[in-house]
Amino acid sequence: MAPGKGFRQSMSWLHTWAGVLLGSLLLAIFWTGSLSVFDREIDRWMQPGTRLAEPPPQVSLDRLVLPHAKNLAPDAPVWTINLPTPRVPVLQLDYEDPQHGRVRRYINPHTGELIVDQGSWGGTRFIFPFHFSLHLNWRSVGYWLVGAAAMGMLVLLVSGVVAHRKLIAEFFTFRPRKRRQRSLLDLHNLTGVVVLPFHFMISLSGLVIFCLIYFPSVAQALYPSDQAQLKLEGLGTYSRPPSGLSTDIASLDTMLATAQAIWTSQGKPGGAYLVRVRNPFDRNGHVEIRRAHTQAVTMNADRLTFDVTTGALLHQHSAAPIAGVQRFLTGLHFIQFDHWTLRWLYFAGGLAGCVLIGSGLLFWTGSRRARHERQRRIGARLVEALSVTAGPGLIIATLTFFVANRLLPLDGPVTGNQRAVLEGWVFFLSWLTTMAHAAWYPAQAWRRQLQAVGGLAIACVLLNGLTTGDHLLHSLWHGKAAIAGMDLMLLALAGSCLLAARRISLTCQARQSNSPPEPEAQRHA
Amino acid sequence: MGAATQKQNVKTAAVRRTGRGTLMLRVVAAIGGGYACTAALASASAQLLVLAGGMARSEAVILVAMLGFFLYLALLLWSFTEASVWRVWAWLSVGIVIGVGLSYGLALSLVEY
Repeated sequence: MAPGKGFRQSMSWLHTWAGVLLGSLLLAIFWTGSLSVFDREIDRWMQPGTRLAEPPPQVSLDRLVLPHAKNLAPDAPVWTINLPTPRVPVLQLDYEDPQHGRVRRYINPHTGELIVDQGSWGGTRFIFPFHFSLHLNWRSVGYWLVGAAAMGMLVLLVSGVVAHRKLIAEFFTFRPRKRRQRSLLDLHNLTGVVVLPFHFMISLSGLVIFCLIYFPSVAQALYPSDQAQLKLEGLGTYSRPPSGLSTDIASLDTMLATAQAIWTSQGKPGGAYLVRVRNPFDRNGHVEIRRAHTQAVTMNADRLTFDVTTGALLHQHSAAPIAGVQRFLTGLHFIQFDHWTLRWLYFAGGLAGCVLIGSGLLFWTGSRRARHERQRRIGARLVEALSVTAGPGLIIATLTFFVANRLLPLDGPVTGNQRAVLEGWVFFLSWLTTMAHAAWYPAQAWRRQLQAVGGLAIACVLLNGLTTGDHLLHSLWHGKAAIAGMDLMLLALAGSCLLAARRISLTCQARQSNSPPEPEAQRHA
Repeated sequence: MGAATQKQNVKTAAVRRTGRGTLMLRVVAAIGGGYACTAALASASAQLLVLAGGMARSEAVILVAMLGFFLYLALLLWSFTEASVWRVWAWLSVGIVIGVGLSYGLALSLVEY
């Protein structure tokens, strides 16, 4: 098995080493990606103030949002307003604050009341950005790492298919009670084959979303002096510099009505989902309105731009054919359309990816642990510690993030974005702790950390009930699907991890009780 | 016998060292060279699509950037299967030279856009 020694041999080698090197990173990306499928529901769970009833079909931005925006962010260059949806039953106002950075506030769409700052980034602003940037924003290092991992995933899928050429036979083979290594490989092949099309699609579409970031030279070649022009022609992002002359903002509701009339006349379904005001109080300010894409896979780029003072239409955009293909692939990845069955299938596909990667890593370390120990090599131990960190360790970090969210008070010494930062620190510090634990106690790492996952997941459910009153019976009875779903998934996670931990300890006991003097020789005979 | 084993050990160590050297060369060629080759050829083809194919600029950029992932994937896989590391380097260099050269030449005709 070496590169350049025949096709299948090379692919086999490539599959092994790309998998060992990228496995942990891919595991982290797949886990956070799977959670991001339900990022809005995680938001509701972590931001109890936004657990409101279904929003009214029509809301007045002039009456409900503008007073708050003028009051909270009179100097902000951009206000981004998201209209309420069944999944996000609140009006959402985003702006840049000179002191607190990017601020997001929620407004009750029934009453127009400003909801207390929830002090949490939740799923949409912590877990989801981790999925594509790892929160490493310095020089976009995170984006490039995730891009490299996605490219590696494509390489792994192709080389895996070549290395395991008996796909159909392997698809029907799963021997969970055989020797551990045999079962692991069966599980790896099973998940690999069943979810292969989804994994290929999800990795490729993930890359396509950021194709302009990953190939900057292409844009540079055709737009050498003016990248803003590419944004205008490709995505309809209109811009003009502020004039310095002040003015007052025209009616956003009238602009929304105009936008709706234009789209209806063009035969396009659905209304606006986002309103973005640039330079709200400047004579050259403008308002961009985007059309919702809950009814189609393609995340359309239908954008209308209005003058902020007169409300006149300045620019109209729809995606050209190839940009439309890119928006289709983007939509395929983001799954923002309304289809709950598919959303659950995406979640299952993502978790199957975690099992695929995890079983691959376990197989590699399992077949080398004894030999590397004998030869005093660090390889297997290192990869094992890393896979524990990226597997149960990352789940522990996610759960302590949830626990911290329920324990930190909203009106304590830290509020708003500072409180959200604190939650982020809890995530990273607990993740670091699991890594230290995996490195120091390699023999017990899997079992102990799985037990910790079980305990923490149950604690999350209990804390949610205690601190918000929305315990499982209550949320099920009152139809709070997001909260009930989150609690049920946490319980399922706790159950499966505790079962796995129990099976590990039973196997260990069995091995200890009937082990001859040389357990290593026995195990690898 | 001891001397023979020692000689054998020295030999395998040497083989392993050169093996590692060519492996590093291959990995760098596949990941770095493959990317450079893809980016250079992609830029040149985007310019060609606009100049010769009459495609809109933004469309050409997006089309080529999307297809770039397939080319990069193919180059990565090929770089690890090709028997000779030197041939990998040679072909990738040819691709980079053609891409950069074309791109540089075409940039002059794109000025009026």
